[in-house]
Amino acid sequence: MNRRLFLSAGLIGLSSKADRRIEGGFVFEDQKTGHLLRDRKKTLPRPAREVRVPVVIVGGGIAGLSAAWELDRRGFRDFVLLEMNPRAGGNSRWGENTISRYPWAAHYLPVPDHGATLVRELCQELGLLKDGAWDERHLCFSPQERLFQYGQWYEGLEPTGAPGAHEQYRRFEEAMSGFRVSGEFTIPMERGGKPSELDRISMAEWLRRNRFDAPGLAWYVNYACRDDYGATAAETSAWAGIHYFASRAPDDKGPLTWPEGNGWILERLLAKLGRYVRTNALVYRIRKDGPRMRVTTPEAEYSAEVVIYAAPTFTAPYVMENAPRVDDFEYSPWLTANLVLDRWPSERGFEPAWDNVILRSPGLGYVVANHQSLATRSDAWVWTYYTSFAEGAPAQNRRWLIEHDWTYWRNAVLDDLARAHPDIRQCVRRVDIFRIGHAMIRPKVGFIWSQQRQAVAGGKGNLVFANSDLSGLSIFEEAQYRGVTAARRALRRISRG
Amino acid sequence: MPFLLLVSVFLIAACGLIYELIAGTLASYLLGDSVFQFSTIIGSYLFAMGVGSFLSKYIDRALVARFIYLELMVGLVGGFSSSLLFLAFAYTEAFHLVLYLLVILVGILVGLEIPLLMRILKERFEFRDLVAHVLTFDYLGALGASLLFPILLVPKLGLARSALLFGIINAGVALWSTFLFADQLRRRVNLQIACALVLAALLGGVGLADRISDAADNNLYADEVIFTRNTRYQRIVLTRWKDDVRLFLNSHLQFSSRDEYRYHEALVHPGLAAVPGARHVLVLGGGDGLAVREILKYPSIESVTLVDLDSEMTRLFSTQPFLKRLNHGSLTDSRVHVINADAFPWLDTNAKMFDFVVVDFPDPTNYSLGKLYTTGFYRLLARHVSRNGWLVVQSTSPMFARQSYWCIVETLKRVGLRTYPYHVYVPSFGEWGFVLAGTNSYEPPAALPGGLRFLSASNVAELFHFPNDMTAVAAEANRLNDQVLVRYYERDWRAIAH
Ligand SMILES: Cc1cc2nc3c(=O)[nH]c(=O)nc-3n(C[C@H](O)[C@H](O)[C@H](O)COP(=O)(O)OP(=O)(O)OC[C@H]3O[C@@H](n4cnc5c(N)ncnc54)[C@H](O)[C@@H]3O)c2cc1C
Repeated sequence: MNRRLFLSAGLIGLSSKADRRIEGGFVFEDQKTGHLLRDRKKTLPRPAREVRVPVVIVGGGIAGLSAAWELDRRGFRDFVLLEMNPRAGGNSRWGENTISRYPWAAHYLPVPDHGATLVRELCQELGLLKDGAWDERHLCFSPQERLFQYGQWYEGLEPTGAPGAHEQYRRFEEAMSGFRVSGEFTIPMERGGKPSELDRISMAEWLRRNRFDAPGLAWYVNYACRDDYGATAAETSAWAGIHYFASRAPDDKGPLTWPEGNGWILERLLAKLGRYVRTNALVYRIRKDGPRMRVTTPEAEYSAEVVIYAAPTFTAPYVMENAPRVDDFEYSPWLTANLVLDRWPSERGFEPAWDNVILRSPGLGYVVANHQSLATRSDAWVWTYYTSFAEGAPAQNRRWLIEHDWTYWRNAVLDDLARAHPDIRQCVRRVDIFRIGHAMIRPKVGFIWSQQRQAVAGGKGNLVFANSDLSGLSIFEEAQYRGVTAARRALRRISRG
Repeated sequence: MPFLLLVSVFLIAACGLIYELIAGTLASYLLGDSVFQFSTIIGSYLFAMGVGSFLSKYIDRALVARFIYLELMVGLVGGFSSSLLFLAFAYTEAFHLVLYLLVILVGILVGLEIPLLMRILKERFEFRDLVAHVLTFDYLGALGASLLFPILLVPKLGLARSALLFGIINAGVALWSTFLFADQLRRRVNLQIACALVLAALLGGVGLADRISDAADNNLYADEVIFTRNTRYQRIVLTRWKDDVRLFLNSHLQFSSRDEYRYHEALVHPGLAAVPGARHVLVLGGGDGLAVREILKYPSIESVTLVDLDSEMTRLFSTQPFLKRLNHGSLTDSRVHVINADAFPWLDTNAKMFDFVVVDFPDPTNYSLGKLYTTGFYRLLARHVSRNGWLVVQSTSPMFARQSYWCIVETLKRVGLRTYPYHVYVPSFGEWGFVLAGTNSYEPPAALPGGLRFLSASNVAELFHFPNDMTAVAAEANRLNDQVLVRYYERDWRAIAH
């Protein structure tokens, strides 16, 4: 997302008249609860109740729930999970209207290969993987992706470019297969990863050094960094950039996806683990109390042997005494929007796909939530629009995001989409917007193999960190891995007594 | 009196806006890109109105008579504008030229109206009131028209008849003015005769309007068009040439009444006659009731469930006399249950079992339709077929779309079914292919129902032989997440077109 590009889109937007009324608003507004932490001294009530329990999990995103999943399947049932929001899920939350379910953030899971054993175990448990075969109903339906360039849509995401560009794509693909077989770029990243010089340069620098200069390829790699890390290729660590391309060897055409995105997995985890979850439970203080830990929420204070901290790591200093240093953990803000359309906009070229990307737009494109429907016809649609604020300083971008009202951001979204669909305003009935201030950890140059990240991730004692940001890579698989690993550490600690 | 005059302003303002809306709508219907069409048409129209207003200053005598002639001209040109545009689209290459000439002509004429009328009325009002009242009614007329247009006119009357209706209103205002301004007119009778002529022409046009849009269709199809309807899902067109009636859906030929018996006998009997005592049959697609007609030839049948997306289509084939004769009234038979639903979700949400299933979908021309030819779909379908039952799939042409055909066979095999591919020659289609699939081993039936025109117990087995130019070729299975079939199909038919 870049201010100047957005404004230029505004001019295009101006030309369309006779707009219809579009409804909507902001959803969740988590930052309001989050900011209570910053100003906690004054406002938060003292709890009336005290609860003794061996393990407390803080944060009900995929990481926290995966910790619960692991404890539960090992037969350990004596724990609670505290989630500040009215609904658990974090970045895997979802919504629903009369047309479809739709994601608010995470919307797919790449088909896990044989190395990603934990994810495959979960997939088997959920019936996605049976006798070694994937259930095609949960794999993304054709066509998966299309790109808008030269005034029309084309199949696939790679821009068609000048002569010679093709050769560079081939060479790039070869280089990535080379990294893949090296065994260093794995999921989870801890399995094969080791400190590397590649973490000391940016992805853009790596492209330069290897003479990848085709503009289409540069756009594509930069898009991947913005899409997966919310950072530009110039800021992303080359190790992380390569990890995206080199970490997977799926055994079927994916990804796994559902109308509600990863909310589908979330709901199944909650069906099993919901009884451990306490919602509306903002943890605002964690402190040592002899050999035990005290965890405070407005409603109750918990005394635990071990705390699994699966809330975003940067919040630790607001919550706990003697928090480890976490100032290297930097996060990108994102904006997602769910749009309700009752007419498909006019367009040219390849058929609508699941993921629809506009070349050189400030956004990341949109995913059609009801693409994954068995019906052949539909007369209304939900689009989930994504954009990350990759350019500029995150703190400044967060201010930009919070300062402006819904109308401003709605116009920004529609102006961006108007590049490919000039009559978008005549087709959209509703736009709901989710502003996510600290959406994703940024694997900036040096972060992946920094002392600080490794120290927090490998921490010992009775406070175990677990958020996906410990991997420097914000993906489902890492959230699950961190949660499960933390649970195993907690169990070891408890069995030692 | 003054109020009655202002009613004229209201009416002519409404007419003026309607013609503009009609041109814009027609252009976006026929050319697409509605933002562009509307913008340029509104622009040209407003500009032409400006030209008309400017020209009004050169009219300096016999204002009332001129105004009446002007109304008649607007009525004629505006009233026939929509029909003219339809014809221009069907018969000429110069649609754009005709479109913009018409828009500009109507615009100039409409631009003349209000200035002229104001000058006629200036004796009867204070200048201040004149401007206020005339413009108020002008804008009110525009409001009325803009509400009426989408809510009532387009859905109820259609474009051609709406234009004519407003042409009649213009001519009506002219006729009425000959009475209102009786004192200022000399040869009144002449004017009234002119009004009557124009009104007659427009009324005649209303009778012809339907024929005009049919004529436009006629030019797109080789034969005479006897029926057209736009449903939510498709455009249905029936044509006739002598005793040959053809059905087109979105301009794709579905059947010809001369040889459809070959197609439908071949679709149904090789499979259904092989299920002795079959009681419950499912038909997916096939809203024309022709497959059902064949199914009802078996006395053991207790129920036929027909699932077709388009309710207009099934209604048409249950009510229109000619079509009912063609399908022997099959859709109104008490054993037949018509369900208007999307087949895949419908199968997914019920657990009914059938002894025989006919799958007669449109060809996999896009990824939405392609879902109905995937392992995901067939796996679900197989769960609805009873143990000794069969399912048969319309599978495009093994001759013209050879790899597509064998891809469908491969897809059925992949879900664990045994497949028995066969084909038939249908003159209006060419070689056409089907695949019979089930869990048993297939033997061609020893007996068929009486009264068939093409199949007999002795020629069923022949259908299963493929000559060299149609034998199996390698193809991958078609899956929801990897729809190879749509790509094969596009390639196969492109190769034919060249
Ligand atoms: C826009 C966007 C799109 C994404 N798309 C994908 C995708 O398609 N695929 C994919 O694999 N990944 C995607 N991700 C990454 C996603 O973040 C991870 O998949 C995963 O959901 C992260 O889970 P987590 O548990 O580590 O963190 P979070 O989801 O952030 O969970 C943290 C939880 O802790 C709670 N919490 C915070 N502070 C407190 C407190 N003090 N007390 C109590 N509770 C607290 C929060 O409310 C939240 O529920 C996306 C992320 C974003 C932002």
